[in-house]
Amino acid sequence: MSFSGGWYPVALSNQLEPATSAGTRLFDREICIWRDSDGGVHAWEDRCPHRGMRLSFGFVRGDRIACLYHGWQYDMQGRCRFIPAHPQLDVPSTIRVATYPCIDRLGMVWMCSDLKMEMPLDLPIDRRDIAPVRSLYVDCAPIATMQALSARSECTVLAGGALISIHAGPQNMIAGFQPFGKGKTALHIVFLGSPEQYPGNARRSAAVWAEELRHDLEREPVPDTAPAGSYEAAPWRS
Amino acid sequence: MTQVATVFFVGRFQPESFLEFIRHRAERLSLAAAVHSAGPNCIEVSVAGDEELLDAFELACSLGPIDCLVLDHHRVSTAEAPERVGEYRSGP
Repeated sequence: MSFSGGWYPVALSNQLEPATSAGTRLFDREICIWRDSDGGVHAWEDRCPHRGMRLSFGFVRGDRIACLYHGWQYDMQGRCRFIPAHPQLDVPSTIRVATYPCIDRLGMVWMCSDLKMEMPLDLPIDRRDIAPVRSLYVDCAPIATMQALSARSECTVLAGGALISIHAGPQNMIAGFQPFGKGKTALHIVFLGSPEQYPGNARRSAAVWAEELRHDLEREPVPDTAPAGSYEAAPWRS
Repeated sequence: MTQVATVFFVGRFQPESFLEFIRHRAERLSLAAAVHSAGPNCIEVSVAGDEELLDAFELACSLGPIDCLVLDHHRVSTAEAPERVGEYRSGP
């Protein structure tokens, strides 16, 4: 098992409201995710080309995001369109932010980890009725998290490791798997079905299950088949 | 409005490192740039573009890469523009 370039979920869709931005990481790279006023999602390098300020601290206005520091405004393609200190300037097209492919699917915001990769997002499940539970950020390496999860619950790994179908007790959940960094993993947990099918009690008990999972993962020693700081499992040792 | 200028940077340079720094900034700002001279104590660059972008270029380059130290910089208007955007040639 290893994690490599491809599509990964980086947030629950309902956590990223229109006209807001947030910072996250994928494979330790700092990413700004933001949703424009029309609901479109974007994943960019979290760095303003001007002075390096995190764009995730910026303000979304309509179809642009403005840097908190000096207000440079970028359109949805990442191109700088307006510099407040020089309002008359025709901003060169070369001033732009690196943008990643990004899409809203299965109640999660997905991004492609490779700037130049042009592979479509191909998920084995395609549902629009999703009941979000919660995102869980665990101080545990991605491979170790995956192994511990598989050991404690009946799991099916899908989409190359980016999705896990979890059967825990009476509950069937789907978790989006985000290799946040070498020592940190995020799980974005949803139920397949409408929020009416999964009322507050069901989602609350799933959230409690997730909390307990995190508690256990952070307390357990890292298995020796999952070296800390690696995105790959160690070779089999008998 | 397009202006043409020569920018002088005075300090302590690793010329290759500073020239790469200059090239990146000129490309980012869509400025035509040509290096006239590059030594361990002075770098002379001809640039053309909007005045605001020339200001930005001069200021950005004054920060320099980690292995160079810019002690002074100034700019004089000139008549001869570099030939094209992103052009990067060394020597007069």
